[in-house]
Amino acid sequence: MNCENCQILISGYIDGELSPSESQSVSTHLAICLECAKLHEEFVSILGFCSEQLTEDSPPPNSQALWCRINNIIESEIAETKAQEALEPPVREKRGFWAGSLSFSRAQFVASFLAVAILSSLVTVVAYKNLTTPDDSLAGYETEPSVFDKMLAKIGVVDSPAERAKKRLEERKSAIEYWSQRVAKRRVDWDTDTRVTFDRNMGVIEKAVRQYTMAIEKDPQDEISSEMLDSSLNEKMELLREFSEL
Amino acid sequence: MFGSLFTSLNPKTAFRISITAIFVFAVFGTADAVFAQKKFSKSYPAGKNVRLQLTNRTGTITVRGWDKETVQISAVLQKPIANLEPKNLSGTIVIDVVRDNKGRNEVGDVNFNIAVPYSSSVDIETRIGNLQVNNIQGGLVRAHISSEGDITLTNIGAANVSAKNVIGDIFYDGVFQPSGIYRFYSTQGNINLRIPLRSSFQLIATAPSTRSISLGSFSNASMRFVGTGRRVVGKVGEGSASVTVTNQQGSIALLRR
Repeated sequence: MNCENCQILISGYIDGELSPSESQSVSTHLAICLECAKLHEEFVSILGFCSEQLTEDSPPPNSQALWCRINNIIESEIAETKAQEALEPPVREKRGFWAGSLSFSRAQFVASFLAVAILSSLVTVVAYKNLTTPDDSLAGYETEPSVFDKMLAKIGVVDSPAERAKKRLEERKSAIEYWSQRVAKRRVDWDTDTRVTFDRNMGVIEKAVRQYTMAIEKDPQDEISSEMLDSSLNEKMELLREFSEL
Repeated sequence: MFGSLFTSLNPKTAFRISITAIFVFAVFGTADAVFAQKKFSKSYPAGKNVRLQLTNRTGTITVRGWDKETVQISAVLQKPIANLEPKNLSGTIVIDVVRDNKGRNEVGDVNFNIAVPYSSSVDIETRIGNLQVNNIQGGLVRAHISSEGDITLTNIGAANVSAKNVIGDIFYDGVFQPSGIYRFYSTQGNINLRIPLRSSFQLIATAPSTRSISLGSFSNASMRFVGTGRRVVGKVGEGSASVTVTNQQGSIALLRR
């Protein structure tokens, strides 16, 4: 799931109106995406505030001045846009694509044709490799990485499992730091049992993360360890996020 | 003073007084904990396809399917401060102990015992504690524990089942429906699936090593071990249901029902 889809579904997610699979996808995305997680928290706090203040209408202090400020901001933005338009030089009339003196020799034409053909085949292969999900069939799970896959990984067209793992670690570092800070703030209020349980479970997950990181360092082409590491990192973020709600 | 009084009594009387004192202390000394608990009970009339959505903080959850069109919620709240406000939202019973008690400290365990129509969907999650679901034949059974606790799913006929925990065992006893999707995930615990011998499913089971995966009676020629035996992929029967089992540090076993 991407951020756009998540932000469309987030309201339904909070209200419990999504299907289980949608809800699960949103939940997983919230664990790994800091921006959407913050948006989710803002929504929850707004809804919480609204439900507490259902009967009380609390207008902002000096609403007349507030409206006046909003009006001024809008007017100044309009004036700025107009000034910018006035300053921009007039656009020159574009010439047709073939109007220039483009002339190719036969060799150049053949070379460029071959280059386009190779490039498009490569793009197709890479797109196929990257966009097909392993859920489509059992085929993705049955085979080891082929020689072609390894070659693509070597020339840097497709990421190797080790590179993917490294990228994921980097991507999730900021999210893990964020949730860890939230947990650090909240845990002082937890009872002893909750603290002990959280630490024990975090220890188990971190052990799995270390185990599979080492396995990938040993064999950079190890797809299964890469997947297991991915799952462990997701687990770590979900544990942090869910305990930060307590 | 009490010492001299006590020694002046005859031994038989002193013994009786001691026994009575111990009994009184045993009853009233623990009474504080007993009286501090709060009980909650509520029933909702429900259709056959009701959905139960429960999010708990800590405590045990037991959900069972019964032959009545009623949802009956019973809960024991370890601390009376805990807030519990179930909502009936057009066919979905929502209980969210986490949201209802956000920012409250020392909420304590909330232990649930819930009965729902057997054709219901059940979506339960908790931060800490055991989950048990019995006799549910509806569309969905989802049982997630954020940290530790055992998950026991028995007599399940749902087409979509998901069970997940970090530490603790997962036991599934039920059938795999054609085109159903079944996912089981544990970081450290044993996953045991007890299913009929004539089940039809495609399996992807991943564990730390070959010896951690036991296929039992379901082993056949189509099963392939990949990734130095850490993953088993294959079909049983026509392979209509999809079963994914992942265990980071424990074992996986398929058992004949």
